[in-house]
Amino acid sequence: MQILFNEEPLQCPDAQRLSALLTELGKLQPGCALAVNQTIIPRPQWDQFVLHDGDAILLFQAIAGG
Amino acid sequence: MNDADFMRYSRQLLLEDIALEGQQKLLESRVLIVGSGGLGSPAALYLAAAGVGTLVIADDDRVHISNLQRQILFTEEHIGQPKATAAAQQLQRLNPPIRVVPLNQRLLGESLYQQASLANVVLDCSDNMTTRQAINAACVASNVPLITASAVGFSGQLMVLTPPWQQGCYHCVWQDDDEPEGNCRTAGVLGPVVGVMGTLQALEAIKLLTGMATATGALHLFDARQHSWNKIQLQKSTSCPVCGELSHANPV
Repeated sequence: MQILFNEEPLQCPDAQRLSALLTELGKLQPGCALAVNQTIIPRPQWDQFVLHDGDAILLFQAIAGG
Repeated sequence: MNDADFMRYSRQLLLEDIALEGQQKLLESRVLIVGSGGLGSPAALYLAAAGVGTLVIADDDRVHISNLQRQILFTEEHIGQPKATAAAQQLQRLNPPIRVVPLNQRLLGESLYQQASLANVVLDCSDNMTTRQAINAACVASNVPLITASAVGFSGQLMVLTPPWQQGCYHCVWQDDDEPEGNCRTAGVLGPVVGVMGTLQALEAIKLLTGMATATGALHLFDARQHSWNKIQLQKSTSCPVCGELSHANPV
């Protein structure tokens, strides 16, 4: 199936889980938040969260400055 | 309100959403602003100008010349002075009748919880993750709305979080206490970028305090290069140690 990862098209296996995808991409690192289709997926759910064809994933860094 | 107040606030009294009732609410409100730097400067200036009755400004830092590029509360003559004291002076000059309380300290633990409990709204204008997590925990524990913003480089983030925390809290989004790699000191920031975020904190505070509808339950990501916004819906983490179902077992 095809998903969008930070606005770039990406092929991945059907029913891929979020944390598996991030591990594969080498992006499972602290200080990040993640949204699927514009909704935050809290980190404790990443292991179970199953992706679907066409899902748009946004992975972004915390900003603490001010 | 006296005649001078009617003149001072006339342009916002004209707004149906504010009017006399909203202005009265602002004058009776107390806002805690943690950090009087790039975010806190515009936020505090706008809230003081709008007539928020009591502003509490907490900062343990002193004014440095490298602050003046973006921390618009301060001038060259403040260099070396405690920021909270200098901020309070400037804000009182802008609007003498309001009350400004400077706290020249890093608010932590019990004193942070006490100040949050006394406030109608808390603005997180701090510059580090440890303080941000502590402010969030204090707001959740005392059921006080939190308007949190941050900026670095050309990016900004803003959330309006309100009890009963159905969309979660700051910790539901950012679970790590570690400091992110970039901050204003190491990665740089443009004054107007952090100014936009602080200004929006003031705007959202005025809306909350006057009972207007606000943009709660979303994380707003600002891209200053593209001048674009991305609005992300928040989702509560049921296992959140701060606002989740089990959090009462671990009071802050």
